[in-house]
Amino acid sequence: MALRGLRILDFTRLGFGAQATLICGCLGAEVIRVESTIRPDPIRVMPPFLPDPGERSTGFGSATLADTSGAKTANRGAVFYKYNTGGKKSITIDASKPKGLALLKQLVAVSDVVTESFAAGTLNRWGLSYDEMRKHRHDVIYVSMCGFGHDGPDSSHVTMGPTAQALTGLTFLVGMPGRSPAGWTFSYLDHVGGYLGAVAILTGLIHRSKTGQGQHLDVSQLEPATALSGAILLDALVNNRPARRDGFPTGNRRDHPASAPGGAYRTAPDPGDSALSGSDRWIVISCRTELHWQSLKKVIGSPAWADETRFATVADRSANADALDALLEEWTLRHERYEAMNVLQAARVPAGVVQDAADRLERDPQLAARGHFTMLGNPDVEPLPLEGVPFRMSRTPPDTGGAIHRGPPLLGQDTDKALSDLLGLDPDELRVLHDERVLA
Amino acid sequence: MTGPALAGLRVLELADESAEYCGRLLAGLGADVVKVESSSGAASRSFGPFVEDIPDPSRSLSFWADNLGKRSVVLDEPDGETLQMLSRSADVLLHTMPASEAVAKNLDFASLSALNPRLIVCAVTPFGQNGPWAEYEADDLVLMALGGSMAACGYRPGPDLIYDTPPLASMGDQAYRTASTYAAIGILAALWARDSEDSGVSSGGGQLIDVSAHECSASMTEWHLLSYLCSGDVYRRAPHPSLTANDGRRVAALVPDFLGSHVFENLLAMLERNDVAGPLTDPQFKDPGYRAANYSELWQALKRLAALHDGEGLYRQGQSAGLPWGVIRSPDEVVADPHLAARGHFVEIEHPELEMTVTYPGAPFVARSSPWVAGPRPPLLGEHTEVVLADWGVPNAESADGGGIAAAANGGSAAAGNREDEADDEEARK
Repeated sequence: MALRGLRILDFTRLGFGAQATLICGCLGAEVIRVESTIRPDPIRVMPPFLPDPGERSTGFGSATLADTSGAKTANRGAVFYKYNTGGKKSITIDASKPKGLALLKQLVAVSDVVTESFAAGTLNRWGLSYDEMRKHRHDVIYVSMCGFGHDGPDSSHVTMGPTAQALTGLTFLVGMPGRSPAGWTFSYLDHVGGYLGAVAILTGLIHRSKTGQGQHLDVSQLEPATALSGAILLDALVNNRPARRDGFPTGNRRDHPASAPGGAYRTAPDPGDSALSGSDRWIVISCRTELHWQSLKKVIGSPAWADETRFATVADRSANADALDALLEEWTLRHERYEAMNVLQAARVPAGVVQDAADRLERDPQLAARGHFTMLGNPDVEPLPLEGVPFRMSRTPPDTGGAIHRGPPLLGQDTDKALSDLLGLDPDELRVLHDERVLA
Repeated sequence: MTGPALAGLRVLELADESAEYCGRLLAGLGADVVKVESSSGAASRSFGPFVEDIPDPSRSLSFWADNLGKRSVVLDEPDGETLQMLSRSADVLLHTMPASEAVAKNLDFASLSALNPRLIVCAVTPFGQNGPWAEYEADDLVLMALGGSMAACGYRPGPDLIYDTPPLASMGDQAYRTASTYAAIGILAALWARDSEDSGVSSGGGQLIDVSAHECSASMTEWHLLSYLCSGDVYRRAPHPSLTANDGRRVAALVPDFLGSHVFENLLAMLERNDVAGPLTDPQFKDPGYRAANYSELWQALKRLAALHDGEGLYRQGQSAGLPWGVIRSPDEVVADPHLAARGHFVEIEHPELEMTVTYPGAPFVARSSPWVAGPRPPLLGEHTEVVLADWGVPNAESADGGGIAAAANGGSAAAGNREDEADDEEARK
């Protein structure tokens, strides 16, 4: 594994920071989550909860404190399992106790990287500032991942994914003309921010190998997002064409390059669908080239309308997209979505089912063939299909269970073993630390 | 000591628009990213919008967005000997060819690895190197559909619960960007494994990184898979609630009650400061269960608050109470953000041919010891052909008798020599 032998002391919580260390764990780094039983990571106690075998929990809905206080343990909050693969280990230490802080400093001394996603200044207040860490590990790579970063006038502001998505223009990019933004309904920027956090960790490591020096890399949830609007931003700035204008964003229509027909088309229900779910089955078709269009025409039986002059070129088809879409949907409505996708793809027409979570788990033959999901559990939870890094490496293959090929950790599962292995604490010393509630 | 992390690293890019953002990230980290184009130019040069709407390969803003900081080499026979020589001199080869095309062009990993055992090859394709969909075609829109983010985004259904609007994909080529970012992570990890004494994988060899854009998209929908595993229900799309401020701007107004009782206490204090708390001052609202059951009262109070402020002001009201609120901005409205300005995020890049200075997004994170390389402006088509062939140890085909194979044969020894020099430099640094 590419990062074998590296150790990350990981104070991240929730999604954004944890995504970064998940990636490093899947690439082989030993990731040691430092947690607290007094203030558990909220993601551990957030619904939905993983059910006992044979039972079903309630859906996500709106998480409230009433729900979270209903968590029976800190080990069944389901979203934790999304962000904590990679063989992460969990230790619990109370940093507010002097002995706890002393242990953390000893752990810094044996770690290559320290990651955290607290509000700016939190670790300083603990007595674990970057300067303090350097006293214990001169070349430590310190990667902070807080919403607005560690400096700047608004560094006290807080984010969750949807906050950062609103502020950076991403929410704006999901919507239909003439309507308010629909936005992303999940924390896309927890993922993207986490990816850039992983890039920051690797950048710090490569810099250290060249210079022998560590550094503080300051990752926010805003800066990873600004390049994601690509040419839309440049068009506004260079051509003085603000994105907030009539007809923009363009829903599923694409002009650069032009795709016509292009968009989501309703299909026939799947066999066994309820009326409700059957009414919401869709396929995306996207014809950017003449070849795509000619192939599509053949697949749908070369109807007379397809040869009308108003659909002759991609520019014509874009200009008459409403009429074109309505006519094409008459065909898609007669076909089940996977069947339509396969017959279109057989003719080399770009097409794909609008897949939901169930589809990806149960219907998608490509994810299955690629081994996208790995069954992993822990002593409390039956193995689940979990995800790691979605790419393959021929010589240093990643593992969703990390170097130890294990599921996400129970809270504090590794406290004694890690402290014994890394700091040489013996059972008597550990017992005293437990009795004094230092390891809590 | 400071300097870009990837200074001196050679990346050969044979990528279409689906992975150009990966090359851009590597260039920003300091790599010498050489984009190989045909004489007609990369496809993305033909995509609009164009500067002043004048179509031209050097005026495509789609090309600009993802090719900042690269160099451009035109090879009329991009599968020929010169390309093999460049591959021999490169550390990384980034491409977007289907597996069958790579084999046909002798650019599959086995062939490339025989040329240059240290070469890291990263293939970004829609579906990866194997599997039943491996040869299927996809663009960003198709990938957004198959990956799952599209099913989760869009407007509410009507009162009959039937959706009258389709699921929506974000604009901005997000599936391509996710795949590109994962490709960059894979490349950095492979570099670490190849070059670092610490890596524990001592071999000095390259490898193949196989990036499926579909898998990348499929793994970024946060809680949706786990929610389905828990409940057996799939998520039904609906926008997050937002407040409309008195200037018509909308503000994402999350109230993350699940973080603890302080969230409501701070919110209530802020509403009282604004004189709009109304019935929320009733102590019963301190009980989370009561609050959840009477959520509409809370929302009414927030609407009264929204009427008092403009969008930017409402965002700051929420933040003053520790709430993760954010005003919904268009991408260009972000440029005026004072916080990002103070962090020096956006950068000004000169385009001397057009006598323009253009604002681009800058570093995706702040690393003062290994600074981000912001420019130079995206390359003109073939702008660096001669200088790159010289730099990378390949004689200029025009100056070599006969060009073609003869040039390549000379280039081979030069490239090998250059590689040894680099190895010495590496030693010197240690």
